Amino acid sequence: MSEKTKIYLQPIPIRVWHWLNAFGIITLAVTGTQIRFPETLSFLGSYQTAIWVHNTAGLIVSFSFLIWFFYYATVKSNLDDIYIPNQEDIKHGIVRQLLYYCFWYFLGRPSPFHATPKVKFNPMQKAAYLVVMFMLEPFVIFSGLLLMNVTPLRVLVLMTGGIKFIVALHFLLACSLVAFLCTHVYLATLGATPLSYLKPMIFGWEEVEEHHEVAEEQQGAPRGYRPVRHYPECMQHIPDNQHS
Amino acid sequence: MNRHTNQNRIPLFLMALLILASAAVCRAEGFSFGGTEGKSGTCLSCHANPAAVSEKMLIDPTRYTRTTHAKIGCPSCHDSVPAAHPQGGVPARAECAECHSEIAQQYGSSIHAGKTRCAGCHNPHKVKSPAEISGQEINTMCSSCHDVLKMTATHGQWLPQADLHIRMLPCITCHTGAKSYYISMYIVKGQNGSRFGKQEMASYDELKSLAGGAEIVALVDKNHDNYISIQELRNFNNDPAHKNLHLQGMMTPETVTHNFEILDNRRNCSFCHTSGSTVMQTSYLTFPGRDGTYQRVAVEKGAIFDALYGTPDFYLMGSTKNQNLNRIGLAIICGGLIMPVGHGFLRFLTRKNREKKEHES
Repeated sequence: MSEKTKIYLQPIPIRVWHWLNAFGIITLAVTGTQIRFPETLSFLGSYQTAIWVHNTAGLIVSFSFLIWFFYYATVKSNLDDIYIPNQEDIKHGIVRQLLYYCFWYFLGRPSPFHATPKVKFNPMQKAAYLVVMFMLEPFVIFSGLLLMNVTPLRVLVLMTGGIKFIVALHFLLACSLVAFLCTHVYLATLGATPLSYLKPMIFGWEEVEEHHEVAEEQQGAPRGYRPVRHYPECMQHIPDNQHS
Repeated sequence: MNRHTNQNRIPLFLMALLILASAAVCRAEGFSFGGTEGKSGTCLSCHANPAAVSEKMLIDPTRYTRTTHAKIGCPSCHDSVPAAHPQGGVPARAECAECHSEIAQQYGSSIHAGKTRCAGCHNPHKVKSPAEISGQEINTMCSSCHDVLKMTATHGQWLPQADLHIRMLPCITCHTGAKSYYISMYIVKGQNGSRFGKQEMASYDELKSLAGGAEIVALVDKNHDNYISIQELRNFNNDPAHKNLHLQGMMTPETVTHNFEILDNRRNCSFCHTSGSTVMQTSYLTFPGRDGTYQRVAVEKGAIFDALYGTPDFYLMGSTKNQNLNRIGLAIICGGLIMPVGHGFLRFLTRKNREKKEHES
């Protein structure tokens, strides 16, 4: 009693940004580790090579960040809708999604959220990406650019508290990004199959399984489990008992 | 009467003969240095007087008195001065190698040999001991021949942030084969009193004024024990009264040599950036003196590893990282692994629940 529908979830600019960002951050993490611990690690041979690769990857990530920002802010004009949690998200959505990850998932219940082009992220994703994209990444990029140009940007270095503060900020925020990356990659495997969330980020399209059966509540869903689906209107399935 | 007259003339003749003989002896011995204390008094009576000699021949008596050369005095190097001096004749000048033979030998085998002589870098009437000179002053000597912009461009072909390296390192750190190093810190200030203006060394008078007339060392060394603790450094950097002052640091050779060369191990960055915590333990804070020299005061070991406030404006990538920050960073990354590891483990244990649901659907 189910059929598969395809929705175009990730347009090309977003996919380009995502993979530039992903490979850039992984490269930055590897080279950054060598730069900070050169006495024990030498992934890329010489220190000079590590610096060069780190700087180049940093510029690529900065460039991809601009792609992301201008695409959502100007082309789509929905940066706030996608990334800022709304009132419902804050009141119920985050808790609901947390309960899903902590309990319902283990009991085999489906996710209470499904992405659409207009509502791409569940409330927890929104909150996490808000921090990552509006705080972590901008500050890492900013501090990285300062560290790449200490002499030309000397005034800014002094204004922000000195080079030690910038290094500490850059290092701790980078560690936070790595921590986020671990969680992000793991959560990306929580779809119907381990790769089902990955496919849209490669091909753009997501396969959505439409259930034409009895609503979740009628199956005796666990107390507190309230599925909320954000399908496009054309795809929405309204249970029969709600027509009346 | 005539006889008497002749008898009177004899002593006069003898006196004249004696004077002439004395003059001949003087001419044979050369110019008289006067034999005053330090053996330089007579020379300085003219050479320290701008009205008496040209600028080229002028000697700053304060700077000269501080030199080791002042202890042996002018005649030690200028041992033969023509009697006609100062009107005519050039005093003899000793070769530096006569005393500094070991350095001359080092220098002779370096890439600098033949480019310039000792006086090209060192003014023997101003020369200071390595402990009395700042890293910036060393670079000023180098830049009198090596144009800073050209050097930045040349180094920039392979050296990341060449401008920073050239500004923040004495040239001899990379271009001499010294074995051990220390961090020489010094106080800089924004030009024209601007907080973020171009940084320049704070002068003795400026620091003296800031210290309210007390010894300028007391600006940092509050307990006057001639030793600067990390806490004293933090207090100095956090003091709002010092908001225009910054502590900069230079990795400086402990023993200065003259074997100038281009060393391959400096080119791959590892020499400084992977030197680790052992080399970076020793640091000094250098204060300018009234007479143009510098006084260095020992700083607590490991001060430059302080996370934020000990030396906020000195960081040597890879070598001066703070261990506590490393631990915090590791804890953050471990936090990010809670989800994959913890959730992943429960996911594995409960996999049958999801398989069952899939079958049902």
